[in-house]
Amino acid sequence: MFEARLTQGALLKRLLDSVKELVTDANFDCSETGISLQAMDNSHVALVSLSLRAEGFNPYRCDRGFSLGVNLNSLNKIMKCAGNEDVITLKADDSSADSLCLLFENSSNERVSEYELKLMDIDQEHLSIPETDYDATVMMPSAEFQRICRDLMVVSESVTIDVSKDEIKFTAEGELGTGNVKLKPTSTIDKPEESITIELGQTVSLQFSLKYLSNFTRGTPLSDQVMLCLSDNMPLLVEYKMDIGYIRYYLAPKVGDE
Amino acid sequence: MGIFYRTIRMVESGIKPCYVFDGKPPTLKSGELAKRLERKKEANKKLEEAQENGDTSNVDKYSRQTVRVTKEHNDECKKLLNLMGIPYVEAPCEAEAQCAALAKAGKVYAAASEDMDTLTFSTPVLLRHMTYSEAKKVPINEIHLNKVLEGLQFSMDQFIDLCILLGCDYCESIKGIGPHRAVELIKKYKTLESIVNNLDTKKYPIPEDWRYNEARELFRNPEVLDPNGIEIKWKDPDVDGVVEFLVREKGFNEDRVRKGVEKLSKNLKAATQGRLDSFFTQVPSNANVPAKL
Repeated sequence: MFEARLTQGALLKRLLDSVKELVTDANFDCSETGISLQAMDNSHVALVSLSLRAEGFNPYRCDRGFSLGVNLNSLNKIMKCAGNEDVITLKADDSSADSLCLLFENSSNERVSEYELKLMDIDQEHLSIPETDYDATVMMPSAEFQRICRDLMVVSESVTIDVSKDEIKFTAEGELGTGNVKLKPTSTIDKPEESITIELGQTVSLQFSLKYLSNFTRGTPLSDQVMLCLSDNMPLLVEYKMDIGYIRYYLAPKVGDE
Repeated sequence: MGIFYRTIRMVESGIKPCYVFDGKPPTLKSGELAKRLERKKEANKKLEEAQENGDTSNVDKYSRQTVRVTKEHNDECKKLLNLMGIPYVEAPCEAEAQCAALAKAGKVYAAASEDMDTLTFSTPVLLRHMTYSEAKKVPINEIHLNKVLEGLQFSMDQFIDLCILLGCDYCESIKGIGPHRAVELIKKYKTLESIVNNLDTKKYPIPEDWRYNEARELFRNPEVLDPNGIEIKWKDPDVDGVVEFLVREKGFNEDRVRKGVEKLSKNLKAATQGRLDSFFTQVPSNANVPAKL
């Protein structure tokens, strides 16, 4: 038996929103410790990894590990039927899961709706992601990162991110001209969500596709802060932390001519 | 000279092509080549017939079959590629074998060919329908050798034997054995030797002087240039050179050519998107390890 009840239903809606543009079908891997999802986009350029701890649910029950293969588009359609204030409960039979049951309860408990989503068998390629000590780790307001991606898209389809000890610089060069945005570390004690911090082992300069980055910024509503981790010649890690877990995006860099 | 626009289309899609030209054919191929020559002659005859009868659809069909790649064609291609800054490799023997060697050595991502032999030459990845016109809407076919072997549960040597059994350019195949039976036979007997010894020769006559061993050797150890000694480099295109060659000599439309070269130099400079596969290793799907929490 698998059952997970989430009091903030809206969170699930947002999570889905941040994944569904990148992948169409994915397995939710459920275990005693929580729910996780890992999927690559079609062209194997980006990867999304989602993890929700069991403690975030109330209650959470999963007797044995199993996978829920879901078409995210279909799930999204059903999730649209849930109100933002609803309490969402996921239920499935872990021994022979061919459908996922979704229960939406209005907080005042007057209205209860129940949906069943057919599951699918997804042959998924699982990647093992090595633990990396990144050369540069940047924390910044997620809304700021979203804005930078959106703004620089006007100029080019790719952006170069340079991180040094006292600055992170985003540069785009395109046909119509160039643009760049520079941010310096700031710490505001009374507003920690607006601070920018840079932890640096070594300066880095990497180029990434803005299309993918702005796709990642769909995670913005999940967290005030976003973490960017970069290392030379390694995929970029973009992480949005939540009370209940995290969503991580990995993006392969663009490689220029030697 | 579709090669000009075709290359530009590839470069525009972010592909950095490297061409491989055929060298001298292997001696084992002479039988196949003689057959092809015969077919060309036949087609030539039919072409003449069709022309006399004014049968346009057949004229078209047979004139396609009579196309032969001459040395001049190849030389012109090489000259154009040089001007475009696109690298090419001249294979000592079969181009497919060289492509496979380059792909195996990691010099290129994949070998693109319509010839399935490329897979038998053990390229890790084979792309088919790479340069079909977009109008045809044929998707590019990406074949991974390891998945093929996994699916068939064959070793590479068995796969080579299977391909020989199914018919290749280098020796004859056994009549009456199609794909289905061939797979069964390899599954049962493992090698060609044991198939030859056990096969009911009345039902399936084995060709006289069947030189499968040589063919097999050719697939296993083809004559190729050492890929590690080959440097593949993309250069900036020589705009004036291309215009001179294609417009003045070949009568191409100057505007179109200039636009094409422009696209070429722009896209060659642009960085190519990396893939995650080259950074993260894949774990088998059944090992289903949920991410650490």
